Amino acid sequence: MIKFKNVTKTYNNTVKAVNNISLEVKGGEIVGFIGPNGSGKTTTMKLLTGITNADSGKIMVNGYDIRKEPIKAKQSIGYIADSPDMFLRLKGTEFLSLMGDIYHVPLAQRKKVISDLSEKFGLTDVLSSPIMSYSHGMRQKIMVVAALMHNPPVWILDEPMTGLDPKSSYELKNMMREHAKAGNAVFFSTHVLEVAEKLCDRVIIIKKGNILYEGTLDSLESKYENKSLEEIFLELTENETVS
Amino acid sequence: MKLYLKLVSALLKTVEPSSDEKKYKKVFYNIMSFIAVFGIMIPMAFLVGVIVYAITSLLIPMDSMQNGIELFIHLVSVFSFVFGLNVIFSVFYFSGDIENLLPLPLKPYQIIGSKFTAALIGESVMEFIIIIAAFAGYIISAGLPFYTWLIAVFGMFTLPVIPLVYCSVICMLIMLLTKAIKNKDTVNKLTGVLTILIITGLAVMVGNSGGFDTEHIAQSIASPSNHLLTVMNCIFPHIQFLVYAMSENSIINLLIYIAINVVCVFLFMLFAQAVYFRTVSGINQSSATNHRSFSLVISSLKEHSASLSYFKKEIKLLFRTPAYFMNCIIINFLWPILLYLVVMLQGQTNFLDNFIYGIQSGDELSVLIFIIAVSALSVLITAANSIASSALTREGKHFAFVKYIPFSYMAQINIKALVSIIISGCGMLIYIIAAGIFLNLGIKFIIFCCIVSFLSVSFVSYFGIFMDSMNPKLIWDDELNALRGNYNIFFNMALAILLEGILCTGAYLLFKFTGVGALMIILIMLVVLMVLNAVCYLLCYKTATKNIDKLSI
Repeated sequence: MIKFKNVTKTYNNTVKAVNNISLEVKGGEIVGFIGPNGSGKTTTMKLLTGITNADSGKIMVNGYDIRKEPIKAKQSIGYIADSPDMFLRLKGTEFLSLMGDIYHVPLAQRKKVISDLSEKFGLTDVLSSPIMSYSHGMRQKIMVVAALMHNPPVWILDEPMTGLDPKSSYELKNMMREHAKAGNAVFFSTHVLEVAEKLCDRVIIIKKGNILYEGTLDSLESKYENKSLEEIFLELTENETVS
Repeated sequence: MKLYLKLVSALLKTVEPSSDEKKYKKVFYNIMSFIAVFGIMIPMAFLVGVIVYAITSLLIPMDSMQNGIELFIHLVSVFSFVFGLNVIFSVFYFSGDIENLLPLPLKPYQIIGSKFTAALIGESVMEFIIIIAAFAGYIISAGLPFYTWLIAVFGMFTLPVIPLVYCSVICMLIMLLTKAIKNKDTVNKLTGVLTILIITGLAVMVGNSGGFDTEHIAQSIASPSNHLLTVMNCIFPHIQFLVYAMSENSIINLLIYIAINVVCVFLFMLFAQAVYFRTVSGINQSSATNHRSFSLVISSLKEHSASLSYFKKEIKLLFRTPAYFMNCIIINFLWPILLYLVVMLQGQTNFLDNFIYGIQSGDELSVLIFIIAVSALSVLITAANSIASSALTREGKHFAFVKYIPFSYMAQINIKALVSIIISGCGMLIYIIAAGIFLNLGIKFIIFCCIVSFLSVSFVSYFGIFMDSMNPKLIWDDELNALRGNYNIFFNMALAILLEGILCTGAYLLFKFTGVGALMIILIMLVVLMVLNAVCYLLCYKTATKNIDKLSI
């Protein structure tokens, strides 16, 4: 579903945000993207969604090259950005209608998704209010509803748990599992190792644009006996020695 | 003092363009700045200087030479006050930096003092130029000694202070006295209404005050019973002292002028110290509206085409965002007030009589001038409302949305251009129809004018988006900042006016100095406008889409 082949992205010809990385996320998989601040997580997400262009390499989304067939590739993606502060002067329903129309979601499907997810997330009372009046968590939730409306084969989430209350966080994790179970790819970035531990089939650890580790957390833990995941992560991102 | 300067410098950086531009963009900016300075600022300053020079020359024999410049500076101060209200409200109470400044160990007067200075510098560049140009006209006409220029330069920097102090005190008073107004949108809309009322009042006052005959104006200004000047001197008492200081090289008058400024700023700081924290806390931007039942909300959902939905989004954001509503929408509909002014002046001085008679009787020159005016105004309105030239800038921090949705860049550009065409076109349509009724023009001629207007509005709209795509200002903390201090808007206006100026001057000269008839020239104009449309569309299709593709935030 997602394929990166030797992708490099440099900012201002000096900072290599992503350095010749290759990765793959298959359908039915939940892959966590972990790394310290400034490691290249958000840049990778932006490359994947077409927000930023790679200097070299190839990115495929659901079989479409993001550069050669951008509209088809983007139609396959449900993206939740790191900041949900978007179109704050639109009402919740107006924003969801806009996204439904842009992603060509049939009315019946749109109504069902909005209805189901709004009840799940406790958004039913606020949909007719401007997004500006929502709390950060509420804004994040409406972005989730918008991203899932067209049932995307590839779901990309940049720091999705930020600002969510425990119930909503729990609901979101369940939804990610259900989405992957239905054969879709779920790729998300996070700082919270516990989330990755409980949710991911695989993790990719990145630092300074280089992938340090790709695989299951179990296999990673087996390499470091008697160490917590947190300690392993810190050692990995400080030493950059494990492959 | 060090802290104050650091704060001012930090606040000014938020309205300056980013410095990490690529080399070619810096070259582009330099070229644009050159065109803006020589194409707009210098001609405008020159015009102001000439007007003040002429009025002063007429007033010297009447022994009232300073009255003209005094009234002119009063007028500039009124404009500074009117347009400063919205800015001061936004800067003092609703800018994004407030949440960062309030927790710091700063006193209210320190915050307000630095914000006031940053707003003064950021907003008054054009005012500085107009003031110094007016002083130049006055000094040359009155034959004042060279050192008067020192007072003039001092006046240039200090004259905008008191009008902005008035704005600041009024803003704080409103915030203090009205609890319900602590909603940003309400405040902005109220200041918008207040601004329109003041502009309409000024238009009515000018319209009723007399004609455009300079002799008449000079006599009116020179009259010892000039009520307007008396009233204005009560509102802005400092101006007369500066003008006297210049005219009579009086140090005492200059000291009084300085003292009035210092006292005003001091009292303003005391007032700010007492009330600012009480008025700034607890402000919110928008509140929840009525809750409709969930089943009603779901059943009211409708399916539209992506284009229509995107178009509705653009329109809603323009109308609902107070800064955009004031600067992009309302500005289009201020033109009827100007039309009213023209009607009033026409009624009193008949200076348009010959022109109207010419159009009605089919005089070629009059018809050509009218068509040229329609095209020029269409360009001016479209460039001035900045709907197109800020189309990408307004996306701001969520510019990524433009990139990650499955909707082609050109389709998005077309919709943004359509929004500009419709809103600018509506303003122009009112103007053309009103002119048609007033001048008793035939329906065919009105339709033809609408076509000329459409072609003019359309090319500036696409051109504006192309210009904005070169280097949109995507980092801003509140919507007013997206528009103010945005050089793209100014450059777009300068270039659009330059292109239109060449077209209109060319058309006029062709008629005047060759044997080509007006009809043929108008047809040539239409063809040129169509070519401009095609070129601007292609610029968007070929270049703006690539620019958007390269941009990221």
